[in-house]
Amino acid sequence: MSATLRVRTLQAVSVIALLGLWEAVVRAGYVDPLFVPAPSAVVRGFGAIAPTALPALGDTLLKTAIAYVLAAALGVTGGIVIGSVRALHDTLHPFVGAVYGLPKILVLPWIVLLLGFGTAPAIAYGTIHGLFPILVLVMGAVRDVDRTLLTVARSYGARPWQVYVKVILPAIVPSVLASLRLGVVFCLLGVLIVEMFAGVRGMGSVMGGLANGFRAPELFAATGLVSVASIAIVLGLDHLNEKLSHWRG
Amino acid sequence: MSGPPARPVSAVELIRIEGVSKRYETASGAVDAIRDVSLAVRPGEFCTIIGPSGCGKSTLLSMVGGLVSPDTGRVLIETRPVTGPDPKRVATVFQDPGLFPWRTAVENVEFGLEVQGVGGKRRRAVATELLGPLGLRRFAEKYPRELSGGMRQRVAIGRALAVDAQILLMDEPFGALDEQTRVLMGEWLLDIWRRTRRTVIFVTHSLHEALALSSRVVVMTARPGRIKSVIELPQGYPRLMESAELVTLRAKLWSEIRDESLRAMGES
Amino acid sequence: MNIVAIRAVILVAILALWEIAARVGNPLIYVPPSAALPALGELLRLRSYPDLPEHLALTAQEIVVAYGLAVAGGLGVGFALGLHRVLGRAYGPILAALYAVPSVVWYPSLMLFFGLDAASKIAFGFLLGFFPVTLAVLAGIRQVNTHLVTVARSFGASSTTVFTKVMVPGMLFTLMGGLRTGLALAVIGVIVGEILGSKSGMGSLINHAYGLFRTADYVALVIVTLVLIVASDAVASLVERRARRWTA
Repeated sequence: MSATLRVRTLQAVSVIALLGLWEAVVRAGYVDPLFVPAPSAVVRGFGAIAPTALPALGDTLLKTAIAYVLAAALGVTGGIVIGSVRALHDTLHPFVGAVYGLPKILVLPWIVLLLGFGTAPAIAYGTIHGLFPILVLVMGAVRDVDRTLLTVARSYGARPWQVYVKVILPAIVPSVLASLRLGVVFCLLGVLIVEMFAGVRGMGSVMGGLANGFRAPELFAATGLVSVASIAIVLGLDHLNEKLSHWRG
Repeated sequence: MSGPPARPVSAVELIRIEGVSKRYETASGAVDAIRDVSLAVRPGEFCTIIGPSGCGKSTLLSMVGGLVSPDTGRVLIETRPVTGPDPKRVATVFQDPGLFPWRTAVENVEFGLEVQGVGGKRRRAVATELLGPLGLRRFAEKYPRELSGGMRQRVAIGRALAVDAQILLMDEPFGALDEQTRVLMGEWLLDIWRRTRRTVIFVTHSLHEALALSSRVVVMTARPGRIKSVIELPQGYPRLMESAELVTLRAKLWSEIRDESLRAMGES
Repeated sequence: MNIVAIRAVILVAILALWEIAARVGNPLIYVPPSAALPALGELLRLRSYPDLPEHLALTAQEIVVAYGLAVAGGLGVGFALGLHRVLGRAYGPILAALYAVPSVVWYPSLMLFFGLDAASKIAFGFLLGFFPVTLAVLAGIRQVNTHLVTVARSFGASSTTVFTKVMVPGMLFTLMGGLRTGLALAVIGVIVGEILGSKSGMGSLINHAYGLFRTADYVALVIVTLVLIVASDAVASLVERRARRWTA
């Protein structure tokens, strides 16, 4: 058996065994199905919540998309500007680092106070959440551009705008894509947190409600749905990433 | 021919280096990279600078290329002082080929022309024509990571040749290559040089390279870098390393460099 | 001008802007620094929230337990996957895929399972802290110079010796970074958990102040929480620097 086949088999067997074991343990009555529903109950739970969960997921993803576009635009341009202007970088990087490292959740109550319970706080908080990882990574990427390439460009008489367009921008493409991949998860995280906290619309509030109502099968189904959506988005970005950085090894 | 270099007697001078010095501030104090170096380079010459590590060879080259400005003294090219990079007259090849990894071989060769605003079709034509003598015709569409070390350095040299500058500065261009590739690249460069008649300033550590390629060898001292001696080599190519003349020259060059290398080793 | 001076000027400018904006705006929403400081004083003198020490201690305990579990779990899983090739290739991608899921989706299930008390916060803090530690172990193992391992083997070193004398020192730099990130995320997990639903801990106080529009108290509580977070990171960075000096 080839190594790859063995790995794939192990993966498949593990997942099936885990599901089977889980189902058996619940059916045998070792755990309380109120807390840990059997996989078959989760599937049935999905059927029950699909009519409300799918529109809620759409709502969440729309807010995430808006927050993501804002975070990406601000983060990438901000990262390029701060990363390439030395004085700006030296002055601002402790501030950026501090805001990046501190839990944004602490300002969430205030954002809800300021913007109410609708779509706006979710978008605002999602944007803040996604913005900083993108900003920090792009800033770092600009500073890490190979010095030799900049010297080469200079020795061939490239003007400052040519250095940007022909050296810095292409050089940071892989890091920008990596930051955008990370950023989308952070935006979705931010939107879900606001929905859970303020609980009006979207998957976050659906899941919060299911947890409070002790509806475990439906909650597990909803959790699975959001997880699958998120993994699909990230895999999609990975695919795009590979296409755009074909020159890398 | 050797001894302290008086101003070289020469009818025509293309490059004139006049009493340049450079000092760098580092974390562990100021370092005198080069001190009071003067040198004149004739058009069409293959001038090699050799010396121990850290003797300021690269700094000197960067001054001619306009990438570093001297603290004292000046560099003149065709009697005009150098104030910054002038890709119309000077092209540089570095030890790290410095290829843009997102550009194919031919696109890398085009870079200098592109920056100068030469149109797409014309620069592609120039680059494609160069790929032949570079031995890279079949590799035009490959990315740098798909090329061997020697091929990468040839692309970098092609990029320098494409801008059609009269002066070619080469900073240990073959330093990162293995010995065999190095010798072959040297032969290839000699061929290119003789056909295009560029003026080359070539920095190296290798005695063999200096003797095989140069029309003149400049030996620099350990830090702070100064010119120790200038050795004229016979005109003909290829150089027969076993000939009495070259064996003598080799011994002489080695004795000049040995002391300086020992001093550099002791310092570090 | 000195860079530190510029930074100070920026900081003062932000505070001044904040003060002006807050005085113009709705006092229920905007709290000027001049009002936040007295509120902080009241809080620290235990006037506004007399049981602050208990809540602070609870949050700190939750963080310590969550982080301890995350380190133990992360090291265990990391080494198991990193040293065993087939296991690593089978479960590594699954782990990476789970890491791509926004962590907060697990929180409602944890709340349902562990209730509203400390256990669900510890579980969430553990979950967040676990991933960076595991990934750092995996990255660290990949970074170990295989040539050094070969050299050690050629001198007849046993697997245990190779592990303790070559692998651990070789990966310590990366591992320490992961342990520090793990702490930061465990802290975030606990605090997010508390704010999303709890009866005690700093998060519950923050929610209380926010729910009653006691905005100045809210700001004061946030400042105290920030001090806790910054202090935990300072300890982590100290340990990190020590460990790096030992290996150097």
